[in-house]
Amino acid sequence: MIDLLQLVFAGLAQGAVYGLVALGFVAIFSVREIVNLVQGEYAALAGLTAISAVGAGLPLLVAILVAIPITIGIAVLLERMTIAPVKKMTPLTSIILTLGVSTAVKALMLLIWGPEAKGLPTFPGSDIVLGGVSIRSQELWVLGVSAVVAYGVIWFYEHTVRGKSLRACAEQPVAARLVGISPRTATVVAFAVAGLVGGVAGIVGSPIYLSSWTSGLTLGLKGFVAATLGGLTSLRVAMLGGLGLGILENLVAGYLSSGYRDAVAFVVLVLVLLFKPHGLAGKSSAVRV
Amino acid sequence: MQRSMRLVSFGLAVGLATTLAACSESGSSGSSASGSAASTGDIKIGVVLDITGAGASLGVPERQTIEMLADQVNAAGGVNGRKVKLYIEDNQSTEDGAAKATTKLLTTEKVDVIIGASRTGPSLAMRPIAEKAEKPMVSLAANAKIVDGSKWVFKTAQNDRVVLEKMVDDMKAKGITQVAVARDASGFGEGIPEMLADVGKAAGITVVKVEKFAPDATDFTSQMTNLRASNPQAVLIWGIPPAAGLAQKAYKQLGLNVPVYQSHGIGNQAFLDTAGDTADGLRAPLGRMLVADQLKADDPQKPVVTKFISDFKAKYNANPSTFAGHAYDGFMITVEALKKAGTDSAKLRDALEATSKWPGVSGVFTMTPTDHSGLTKDALVMVTVENKAWKVAG
Repeated sequence: MIDLLQLVFAGLAQGAVYGLVALGFVAIFSVREIVNLVQGEYAALAGLTAISAVGAGLPLLVAILVAIPITIGIAVLLERMTIAPVKKMTPLTSIILTLGVSTAVKALMLLIWGPEAKGLPTFPGSDIVLGGVSIRSQELWVLGVSAVVAYGVIWFYEHTVRGKSLRACAEQPVAARLVGISPRTATVVAFAVAGLVGGVAGIVGSPIYLSSWTSGLTLGLKGFVAATLGGLTSLRVAMLGGLGLGILENLVAGYLSSGYRDAVAFVVLVLVLLFKPHGLAGKSSAVRV
Repeated sequence: MQRSMRLVSFGLAVGLATTLAACSESGSSGSSASGSAASTGDIKIGVVLDITGAGASLGVPERQTIEMLADQVNAAGGVNGRKVKLYIEDNQSTEDGAAKATTKLLTTEKVDVIIGASRTGPSLAMRPIAEKAEKPMVSLAANAKIVDGSKWVFKTAQNDRVVLEKMVDDMKAKGITQVAVARDASGFGEGIPEMLADVGKAAGITVVKVEKFAPDATDFTSQMTNLRASNPQAVLIWGIPPAAGLAQKAYKQLGLNVPVYQSHGIGNQAFLDTAGDTADGLRAPLGRMLVADQLKADDPQKPVVTKFISDFKAKYNANPSTFAGHAYDGFMITVEALKKAGTDSAKLRDALEATSKWPGVSGVFTMTPTDHSGLTKDALVMVTVENKAWKVAG
């Protein structure tokens, strides 16, 4: 029983990171129907930037406060440079386009930071044992920070005028324009949000899961799988999907074989696309066609 | 909407297929290298290393070492008046990458000898290619399978069996008999639990649980939870950094406190950095280089090791790792053999096999027709970690 709880808890922390990345996919797809495969790179970029800042002698908190705006800035800049100039964007075009961008970003990260994986120092706090279950302080940070950020993003998209206006762009672009919502601003805001959640995921996860030029790829794919659970449009399901995926991975690794860990996400993806292509949330997304 | 989702998934599939195709550019260029090498002109040394991917913390310092040594050799007039020219390839820590790079070096660049790879898996993938081309190859990796029964392949890292023998001696002295093993799932960890059981049979050592981890794994909670449940007297973690360091960390964080043994795959700063203070008290059979400052003055390796460390520090402003040491040994043994035999493949091979009592960084090498690894357990010392620094274990 203790082993089960141990595996579930470690899975929750891992899953929270997937969930944040998944939020980034949804934040953009629900505004512009763009599948942004650069999403995982934001996490790698933020982690590596923060590690360099710490290496330059900045305190951890300052390093994080530097790395996140830089990541958001790069997310927006890449959007302006590569997404904005495209006149007729389809999901397919966006996938091919962002795949190219993500490969370029990866190569740049390899040039700047080299091939070795590095980790941020663990955030302050000490590990605790609760009823036989060892809990690492960093896992509590991951869960706490993810909860705050996820709640903030969901609240922004669902309860503020600004956030609702973003979704209006996706549902009725022409009408949105008529009432004065700029699709251009909406896209920029969506990419900034994606940069934020990706950056946070990369930084809180870095002390445990390390950052390297390749870490964005797996993280992005797992986040994408979690996002498809919500049909790429539900923030809540994406976050919960991430958590569920993390737990499932850990259970498979613990009870079957750790070699199957990375296969879990793809089995889930195939099952979702075969049986529930709208996502587990059901028909809610049909209104958007 | 359904259409749109289908389109998305189709697009993703196409996208992924494109990347994969791009990554695996067609490599087989057919004909194998043959013909006698020129006996004048530059000596071509092909080097295949794990420069990116899971083995990066090994491959990068190995490349630095070989580049440094090649410069030194050339500055001193080369090998018998011929300059050494390096052809360095990155295998991306993959087996197919290593095979492709080897084929390219042998057929396109027509190198005289091959050094590499950094890890066991890629080295095993290179072995048959070098053998078919009948070119000498010197691997920097550990598993004895790389050289077992091979005519053309040599290696410089200590054999895993030798490491386990040293470890078993230590366990025996401490009265440990129940050992749980977490091993690297790639070639480096292949067969380790079985070999430990075999080597430790006489000492009454049994392996009570085996867990595997991918060389690029980052979370070890599931493996360590299972090891904890098996109630071992000691745990053996067999992997390379950063994975080995993260496993060490997870082990402590899950509240296990039986002694930990680690392999000789952990001898670099990356390990100490990732494991942090959780590494304190671990035991690992490692080469003498990491504890060079604690060596006796009459140790035959002392001058070699001291010079290598100061050269490396002067050039790269960092301490060399044991992997850099394996590269030193691999490159210098090759250079010694080239000096004696020139670039003729068969003669060069014979010269490599004739290496005898050659003091290197990882030990004093003596190759024989049946032992292409050249080191015994005397090449190792039991090392522990104190305050993030290597110490000879008491």
